[in-house]
Amino acid sequence: MAGTAAAVYLSGCSIGPPLREPSAVSVVRAPKYDQTLYATVRRMLADHKLNVRGKRVVLKPNLVEFDANTAINTHPLLVHAVYEAFLELGAAGVTIAEGPGHRRITLDLADEAGYFSTIPSFEKAFIDLNLDDVTRTGLHRPKSKLDSLYLPNTVLGCDLLVSLPKMKTHHWVGATLSMKNFFGTVPGGVYGWPKNVLHWAGIDECIADLFTAFPKSFAIVDGIVGMEGNGPIQGTPKQAGVLVAGPDLAAVDATCCRIMGIDPKGIGYLQLAAHRGIDERNIRQLGEHPVTVRTDFRLLPNFERLRLVAT
Amino acid sequence: MPDGSVLAARQNQDGGWPYTRGSSCTEPTAYALLALAATGDTASSMVGRGYDWLARFQRADGGWAPSPRVDGSTWVTALILLLPDRGVAMKREAALQWLAGNNGRESSWIERARSALLSGQVRPTGGAGWPWFPDTTAWVTPSCIGLLALGKANRLRRSTRLEERCNNARQYLLSHVCRDGGWNHGSTKALGYDSDSYPETTGQALLALHGVDGDTLHISLDRALRHFDSCRSLEALSWLKLGLLAQDRQPPDRPAPRGHGSVPEVAINLLAEAAANGRNVFLE
Repeated sequence: MAGTAAAVYLSGCSIGPPLREPSAVSVVRAPKYDQTLYATVRRMLADHKLNVRGKRVVLKPNLVEFDANTAINTHPLLVHAVYEAFLELGAAGVTIAEGPGHRRITLDLADEAGYFSTIPSFEKAFIDLNLDDVTRTGLHRPKSKLDSLYLPNTVLGCDLLVSLPKMKTHHWVGATLSMKNFFGTVPGGVYGWPKNVLHWAGIDECIADLFTAFPKSFAIVDGIVGMEGNGPIQGTPKQAGVLVAGPDLAAVDATCCRIMGIDPKGIGYLQLAAHRGIDERNIRQLGEHPVTVRTDFRLLPNFERLRLVAT
Repeated sequence: MPDGSVLAARQNQDGGWPYTRGSSCTEPTAYALLALAATGDTASSMVGRGYDWLARFQRADGGWAPSPRVDGSTWVTALILLLPDRGVAMKREAALQWLAGNNGRESSWIERARSALLSGQVRPTGGAGWPWFPDTTAWVTPSCIGLLALGKANRLRRSTRLEERCNNARQYLLSHVCRDGGWNHGSTKALGYDSDSYPETTGQALLALHGVDGDTLHISLDRALRHFDSCRSLEALSWLKLGLLAQDRQPPDRPAPRGHGSVPEVAINLLAEAAANGRNVFLE
């Protein structure tokens, strides 16, 4: 049923998950960044029966800061594994694209994070979304104070946008996962570094708006080593040992929250998305159940209220 | 003097420059022309076509948008005001008025009153910088470029209003120093945690604060030198060079990091080389 849902998204016939279909979310144990990731990712995508033959796919990792030794950025080996997997599935083209929010020197960030050394011909495959051509795009029933945003043509024109975030706590919104990762699609070339227009319009609200702006999407969350504490930059690495994936980003994020020991009902943007997918009863867990892989991420004091009570 | 011919190959047929490839945008076009000016080229046909591109896209309010596809004037207007006046049909005075009349949203009396009501404290005036995008907060990079542009205009034609605006901008920068002495994008603390500075914005701030008493900046200069030793970005290193030279400090010798060839990176590197050879067009 999840595969049918995924195929329907890609045909462009659906804005969101069908009302009565549970959202399929995979949780797969992945203890480290090594060559086994390639097979793991292939199996994960096979479980979701994604049909990307002849389609243009954009992978959107999270690149934030210069620090190869911490857990700030999506690991390049995972990005490459996903890149190769989509090519093997017959995608017409796979682009890696990101628009960092604090530092303008994107290729330098990618270089430092190991993307050039890990991904062959990385520079040819990469688009800096901050500097891409843009189109003013109306927001459908926005939650924020914005009625439109300039968005990069690369993401507007793709057939599938794959959010590849790190699993991290976040000092403003509690957790940053696949939905928050779409902040990186908003072009700094228009709005600056940081993309302050989003903060003024409401962070949780803009996350919810970007979620609806990209209905043809998929998420694979890098939770092998995430970040706890004062995320998304000054926290500490946290070994969670999982990858979490699915076509419903809200359901994926809710599952990630449960793995991190966070109550998804306490995350503002998940509530604003008003999405049935965050309710466990509407999620079909593939692979591991969140309870079996739960590892509580340390939270800042003002977010302790989000701690998920064990049931 | 450095050679600007590397920029010739990157110019688009419409006369503008792209960031890397593709459509022409305002920022790379302005940096390319600034770099060419630094190499002594202000009259070639390449430069002429670049100025014509900019003139075509000046907006009715006097400012410029980041690209022809965006409907709204932004911080890039300040970059264009740094360019030598070639007498091309650009309404520089209108651009200057647009820039001088703009500041970060947090500086407005409405926002300051709102902040005071919410927090119970009146925030001390921390100067007034410039935002990246209208009606948002001021940040370090656009404030540096804005200060450099107004500083240039004030040198050409002294004005109390411009002088006051420049002083406000300097105050903004001096009130947004990170605890380590440098500057980042403009957020020194988040939820009580100190943020680290970045090399590129530290360089920009030191450049913009040219003329400020060295004693005030000695911690910042130390930080800049430490950034210089460890910097892994050619563009950021170029900004550091510009900043150190503007503060009469000779950057140490060190190998340059690998560049990635964007037009702004190439242009800023040329600008830094020209400054090292005695010509800093940001301060002319």
